[in-house]
Amino acid sequence: MAGLFRKVYDWLMRTFWALEMEVTMVGLQNAGKTSLLRVLAGGEFTLDSIPTVGFNMKRVQRGHVTLKCWDIGGQPRFRNMWERYCRGVNAIVFIVDIAEPELIPQAKEELHALMSNQTLLEIPLLVLGNKSDLPQRMSVDELIDELDLKSIRDREVCCYGISAKEETNLDAVVQFLMKYANR
Amino acid sequence: MSYGKKDEDADLGLVKVDRTQVFQEARLFNSSPIQPRRCRILLTKIALLLYTGEKFPKNEATTLFFGISKLFQNKDASLRQMVHLVIKELANSAEDIIMVTSTIMKDTGGSTDAIFRPNAIRALCRIIDATTVQSIERVMKTAIVDKNPSVSSAALVSSYHLLPIAKDVVKRWQSETQEAAAASKSSSGGYSLGFSSSAGNLPMNNSTMTQYHAIGLLYQMRSSDRMALVKMVQQFGAAGVVKSPAALTMLVRLAAQLAEEDASLRKPMMQLLDGWLRHKSEMVNFEAAKAICDMRDVTDAEVNQAVHVLQLFLTSPRAVTKFAALRILHNFASFKPQAVNVCNPDIELLISNSNRSIATFAITTLLKTGNEASVDRLMKQVSGFMSEITDEFKITIVEAIRTLCLKFPSKQAGMLTFLSGILRDEGGYDFKRAVVESMFDLIKFVPDSKEDALAHLCEFIEDCEFTKLAVRILHLIGLEGPKCSNPTKYIRYIYNRVVLENAIVRAAAVTALAKFGVGQKDPDVKSSVRVLLTRCLDDVDDEVRDRAALNLKLMSEEDDDMALDFVKNESMFSLPTFEHQLVMYVTSDDQAAFESPFDISKIPIVTREQADAEDRTKKLTATAPTLKAPKAGPTKSSASSAEAAASASAQAQRYAQELSEIPEIQEFGAVLKSSPIVELTEAETEYVVNLVKHIFKEHIVLQFEVKNTLPDTVLENVSVVATPSEEDELEEAFIMEAARLATDEPGKVYVAFQKINGEGALPVSTFSNVLKFTSKEIDPSTGEPEAEGYDDEYEISEFDLTGSDYIIPTFASNFSHLWEQIGASGEEAEETLQLGGMKSIAGKQRGDMGTGHANMMDHRCHGATRKDTLPPARRWDRRARQPKHTYAQIAGQERVRRPRGGHGPDGLFLQIGRDDKAHGAKRGGERGGAGDCVGGMNRFSRRCGILMQQEVAGKSRRGCNDYLNSCTNTMSSVSVSQKSSSLVT
Repeated sequence: MAGLFRKVYDWLMRTFWALEMEVTMVGLQNAGKTSLLRVLAGGEFTLDSIPTVGFNMKRVQRGHVTLKCWDIGGQPRFRNMWERYCRGVNAIVFIVDIAEPELIPQAKEELHALMSNQTLLEIPLLVLGNKSDLPQRMSVDELIDELDLKSIRDREVCCYGISAKEETNLDAVVQFLMKYANR
Repeated sequence: MSYGKKDEDADLGLVKVDRTQVFQEARLFNSSPIQPRRCRILLTKIALLLYTGEKFPKNEATTLFFGISKLFQNKDASLRQMVHLVIKELANSAEDIIMVTSTIMKDTGGSTDAIFRPNAIRALCRIIDATTVQSIERVMKTAIVDKNPSVSSAALVSSYHLLPIAKDVVKRWQSETQEAAAASKSSSGGYSLGFSSSAGNLPMNNSTMTQYHAIGLLYQMRSSDRMALVKMVQQFGAAGVVKSPAALTMLVRLAAQLAEEDASLRKPMMQLLDGWLRHKSEMVNFEAAKAICDMRDVTDAEVNQAVHVLQLFLTSPRAVTKFAALRILHNFASFKPQAVNVCNPDIELLISNSNRSIATFAITTLLKTGNEASVDRLMKQVSGFMSEITDEFKITIVEAIRTLCLKFPSKQAGMLTFLSGILRDEGGYDFKRAVVESMFDLIKFVPDSKEDALAHLCEFIEDCEFTKLAVRILHLIGLEGPKCSNPTKYIRYIYNRVVLENAIVRAAAVTALAKFGVGQKDPDVKSSVRVLLTRCLDDVDDEVRDRAALNLKLMSEEDDDMALDFVKNESMFSLPTFEHQLVMYVTSDDQAAFESPFDISKIPIVTREQADAEDRTKKLTATAPTLKAPKAGPTKSSASSAEAAASASAQAQRYAQELSEIPEIQEFGAVLKSSPIVELTEAETEYVVNLVKHIFKEHIVLQFEVKNTLPDTVLENVSVVATPSEEDELEEAFIMEAARLATDEPGKVYVAFQKINGEGALPVSTFSNVLKFTSKEIDPSTGEPEAEGYDDEYEISEFDLTGSDYIIPTFASNFSHLWEQIGASGEEAEETLQLGGMKSIAGKQRGDMGTGHANMMDHRCHGATRKDTLPPARRWDRRARQPKHTYAQIAGQERVRRPRGGHGPDGLFLQIGRDDKAHGAKRGGERGGAGDCVGGMNRFSRRCGILMQQEVAGKSRRGCNDYLNSCTNTMSSVSVSQKSSSLVT
């Protein structure tokens, strides 16, 4: 009975208080952006996905909110286009592969370069340390230090460790994003 | 958004579309949520701008592109289609277009019946670059063999465009393409890719267009591999395999191309083409007929069926069918009018067709195919609707009539009336020029028409709005007027120009006027011209005054010679040579060439008459080639006669240059004649030897060009031992060896002979040749040749030194005059050639192809007037060089009198006898290709001929007759075998 009531409530919300928000996902290549998006949209996790050429776009429906997620390719040739796709979105999701510590400095550089853009001021940033299921991963605290997230002051910053494969902590991600839906 | 209203007056709405405004509106793309309908209209506007040639600057295009990329993955299928369409168009101008690759790729797969799939595939191939083609390979492969023809077509066409940028990848899709070409899909539903805003399922179509695209792609993939192409044509050419007429049309073209390129494929391809003539689609019929008609050296038998098919189409109720058939026949009639003759009754019916294009083509075709009798009637028909057709068609008709004038000079009166009639009609410059030039040609080449034509032209300049034409006509009147019976009547017309026209025409008129005065015998005329010219001294334009003054001065000179030189110079530079020399001078790489100014005295000067004759030959051959020149081939006979002459003279100059650099040869004097290149070996042999025969006054130099094609060998001390069979006439003077020949480096060996009997002698002989050399292998480790080589000999083919090697074409303005002149003083030779009738030759050829053919080629000339049948001889019998009577024997048995002539293989044209008399002179002209020998001869003999060059002939009557005989010997097999029936009189 409660389930039914919930469904009716959701339908009402969708119809009359539908909210759409845009989220852009960036990060170095092979960090797991496309996989995460696929899992968020309710798809199966696949190990061997091809590198994204350009970008992918998917809608994720949660309650009365539609998340319009842009997944931008992480190869160097696409990185200068991140800024363009981050402009005017509700939140930026930066994904890092925490099982590959040697790539962290590069990720840090790219992240800070992106954050220094005047056009992206005050857009909330969510940093996700992906692949927490792998053994040689680093912890969230280490990641915050390595990326020097504390130096980013002009916006809300949040950092989670997740695993797209095991679907750990994904709810927290969605909750964080939904918070900004009505802005 | 009142979409419906806008649609009503679509013109108004669309015309107002403005680039900057659209760019401003494009912010709509960023709004959320997306409004599919409005976005679609905006995208349509962008597409309109792009399709009508508007260009977005790079930054604007990029902004637009990123805006549009926000619209991706919308549920509205029509919006998706539109997005793909616009992205495809923006792909060239926007930056970073690669960004959408992944997204579009998702659309290409998608649900199998989505309407936007073809659009996505086409867009995908535009945005992809060479490095990423590999990643779409799987998508494309599945799309090519998709069961929906629209998807398959889109994939095939896209692959076609991808081929140049990613050849290797696309070539891997061959088996899929093959499958698509062979597949015969049949599903219901019409062909439509309309933008429906409904669910967006792909409408099915049953078009077979996919096959066309697949075959096009296959051809591109295999274009470098002829065998694969042949296989493809044969596989898909079989009946019923390919349904699409367009695809078959493609195969027809391909088959024609293959037949053209490779002679051995000609027969099977012709069979295929013949089959396609009976295909049920008109398109295929036309294409096959056209291909057959365009085939090089097509025979009457081959073309018969094609002409028949076209003839049937002439009676079709559809105008476009008639037009297409007629146009092919029209083109074909230009060079094989007799083959089109059979269609004449059907074409006649079309000359009164209400469609002017058809009527024009019908008449021009008839003018080409018709005989002399029908010309008048046709001209009447033409003048009936001349006023109703456009200038372009008028020019076509005038060109046809111009050719006709040259062909049937006796009809000139009617044609002249016609030309003068249309000259009075309204018309643009191009049309008038065509008419005036036709009249010029008439004046030049048909002397009977001169006075009338001049009178018409005079009338024309009375009211001529084109300065250029008036000037040309005045010049012509100046040239021709004084020679006419009553020159004074032209003076009035000319002086009218001086009074009424602008300065340019006045100046031309003054010059023309002067030509009447200078050298004028009649004192009355001379004084009146002087009066008129004196009046011109007061002209306002200085050029006019200058010309008048100059001419007055010339007229008052006591000595007419100078005046004649200036004003009435009948000779001119040989323009083709002049042009060639100037180009050589200007494009010279050698700095030294510019130190001395261009020497104009080196240009040969020809008389105007000769230039006219050459001009006429060119015009006749250009408008009516007897057989089409081969497009490409090992023999260089492809160039038209004029080009061939130009290149021959350039070649001769080069030889002369080379030879004069060798001191031993320099002593012999100037080269009188160099023969064309004779190939003494096959092109693929180890040693390739070519020969050029140079004739000097008392010597003959054989230039052997030797090329060693063996890898890793060096030939040293290369010489050629050439042994003449007539050792009592030629004595070897020296051999100049080529010291060293590396692989693929051509070298020259010269062998010089002295004529024992002095400069008048014209030895004819066969040479047997042996190539002698020391062969050394190259040591692969050092790259140096070995110290010790071994001597080797290599037998090369024999060749003949024949009479034609001594003959230089020269110009004879009035053949019959020269004929009589020489004939009176020289000996006469009566000649009887025995030629077989057409049937017996054909039968004989079939019977013993080997000897029969050889016999025809090498006529046997026999000394006495023997009438018994001689055993066939393979080579021209050198013993039998009798001046008086000769006898040519062909395998046939009938005796034929009065042969008229034939072509020599090297383009010499020879008159053997006229009215049972053979004279010492020959006439003819240089013509490339054989065929149509009697008709050609009659035309040519009228103006140009070949006289024996006096230096070579040594003024010997006996020599002349020798040449007569030997030239008979060189008659080519083509002219004899094809035309012997017309030789029989």
